[in-house]
Amino acid sequence: MIRGRWGSIVMRVAAWVAIIVASAVAGAAVWTHVPQTSAAETYQAPRTAAGAPDLNGIWQALNTANYDVQAHAARPALALIPAAPRSGTPGLTRATHVELPAPAVRALGAVGGVPAGAGVVEGNEIPYQPWALAKKKENAEHWLERDPEIKCFMPGVPRATYMPYPFQILQSTNTILMAYEFAGATRTIHMNKVGDSPSPTWMGWSRGRWEGDTLVVDVTDFNEDTWFDRAGNFHSDALHVVERYSRVGPDHLMYEITIDDPKVFTRTWKMRMPLYRRLDADARIREYKCVEFVEQLMYGNLGVVDPATGTINK
Amino acid sequence: MPYRRLILAVLATAGAIALAACYGSASQRTPAPASGRTAWGDPDLQGVWRYEGAIPLERPAQLAGRATLTAQEVAARQQLEKEQEEKRLAGSEGAAVGRRSIAESPIRGNEYNSFWQDHGRPRQVSDRTSLIVDPPDGQLPFTADAKKAAQRSTARYGVGPFESYLDPDTGERCLTDGVTGMMWQGPNGGHNRIVQSPGFVTILHEEYRDRRVIPIAASASAAQHGNIRQWFGDSVGHWDGDTLVIDTTNFIDRTNYEWADIWTRASESLHLIERFKRIDSTTLEYTITVADPATFTGPWTAVIPITKLPDDTQIYEYACHEGNYAMPNLLRGGRTDAGKK
Repeated sequence: MIRGRWGSIVMRVAAWVAIIVASAVAGAAVWTHVPQTSAAETYQAPRTAAGAPDLNGIWQALNTANYDVQAHAARPALALIPAAPRSGTPGLTRATHVELPAPAVRALGAVGGVPAGAGVVEGNEIPYQPWALAKKKENAEHWLERDPEIKCFMPGVPRATYMPYPFQILQSTNTILMAYEFAGATRTIHMNKVGDSPSPTWMGWSRGRWEGDTLVVDVTDFNEDTWFDRAGNFHSDALHVVERYSRVGPDHLMYEITIDDPKVFTRTWKMRMPLYRRLDADARIREYKCVEFVEQLMYGNLGVVDPATGTINK
Repeated sequence: MPYRRLILAVLATAGAIALAACYGSASQRTPAPASGRTAWGDPDLQGVWRYEGAIPLERPAQLAGRATLTAQEVAARQQLEKEQEEKRLAGSEGAAVGRRSIAESPIRGNEYNSFWQDHGRPRQVSDRTSLIVDPPDGQLPFTADAKKAAQRSTARYGVGPFESYLDPDTGERCLTDGVTGMMWQGPNGGHNRIVQSPGFVTILHEEYRDRRVIPIAASASAAQHGNIRQWFGDSVGHWDGDTLVIDTTNFIDRTNYEWADIWTRASESLHLIERFKRIDSTTLEYTITVADPATFTGPWTAVIPITKLPDDTQIYEYACHEGNYAMPNLLRGGRTDAGKK
């Protein structure tokens, strides 16, 4: 039995050891798991010279939301066709019915497959109005002709954030830029009073403010031409996005999105995902000037000559 | 380029109107520190800038041998600018410079040339006769081949032939008009927003939404280029006192494409050195030295005074490719023409 002064010291040491071990475990949890709200509340973001939380850096999502923001199993391709009828066809009778890659994407093999994902939508339900759900399904069936990403159109918000390309936050005092690699799209986040957008836009009109250490961006004035993902999830020109960017660790942001569009959805809905800092040596936003990459697809058969083949278009 | 201007006109009309409205309103932005420094201590170049001068890039032939104008000539030019401005406001500006006026236009809505050239503010007259200060003759030192390419480009401009999507110029294809003229060219706006953040200077050029994110090195010797070639090259900046110096190499070769202005084209041997020096609260002295043996017999340097627009001026989204219905129409027109032959 430990008693008296020495006993008290031993107890105190034991208590400190317990605290240190507990905090080390908590620290390890931050590093081995994506920090959740509790960690975000304890992490203190470093400050810029002007005293704001510092969000500068090159960030990227590491998930499959750009394929489908909802939970999805792996599948062989983005564009699928039904397999031949099973019954009565010699050699096919014992095969499980599956969908097969559409001819236009078949040559890509495993490169063109879709990895599974748990989804980023809160509750995994997108509350479409009935007509809109039908349109979403139709979009998915016509993905190859309709997805604006294929044509190198500006991806809109929030899709730009979770495409498989990095983006850079360039934080000045009254202005924060979000510079996306894909299609060279850039957003200007106005941190002070700014007039209204003169017209609908692809990337929205962004007004930012700080709520504690969180950057909250109110995005309006969208056109109806962007999608949320490659699964045909869409919105109208009544889209209103509220984004929240919070530093939850030295190399993580938590990105939370609230979507409101009364023309398409029955209620607001949310998405949430961590963003990771690109730590690669000389990490930079490079050019991805994809207009040049899609001209053949979009215009190759329209001119007198097809540049891909050198033949005269009939 | 008229078809391009037409689409862009439709896309940006609202933006330009809003911009014009902005000129009249009071600043709502937090004033820059009196020191002209960013919060982290760099010289502050931030804001929306455009070239509002009336000085041409090359010296006109009738002024050969003269770097400056006389006081009388400057006064005459100021008078001319004033008259042009009045004509612009009256909607008859086109006639004054040899283009169709609104009244003469056979197609309602075909007044875009005048529209695009409208600065909304009077141009600034100077006694200088060319932006080019070196060579001293004020002319672009084209190689013989580049001169031919420039003549060919001028002859094709707006005329074609347009037999595939490779035939329109890089601007008509919504790619870019090049880095070389980015800071002061651009009839469709020519607005550049400079945003600084620690370690970076970003230049957003409204037209084609061209963007340059330029890392700033501690010194000229510390500025190292990467190894990736890009349309806009690989830029590294440093501060030389209060002057921002940007050195750009590693351009891709796109000399085989059509360019509206051959002198802005990219080649692998292109090397740009740009200097941004703030000479007063509303003027940036921009100096660019262009060296490229693929196009020029020697380097040339231009000095361009660029004006800071009111603090609440915005640049707007430029969805050129997204709205490029001119391209399919142009190619269909080309096929129709070919069918008639």
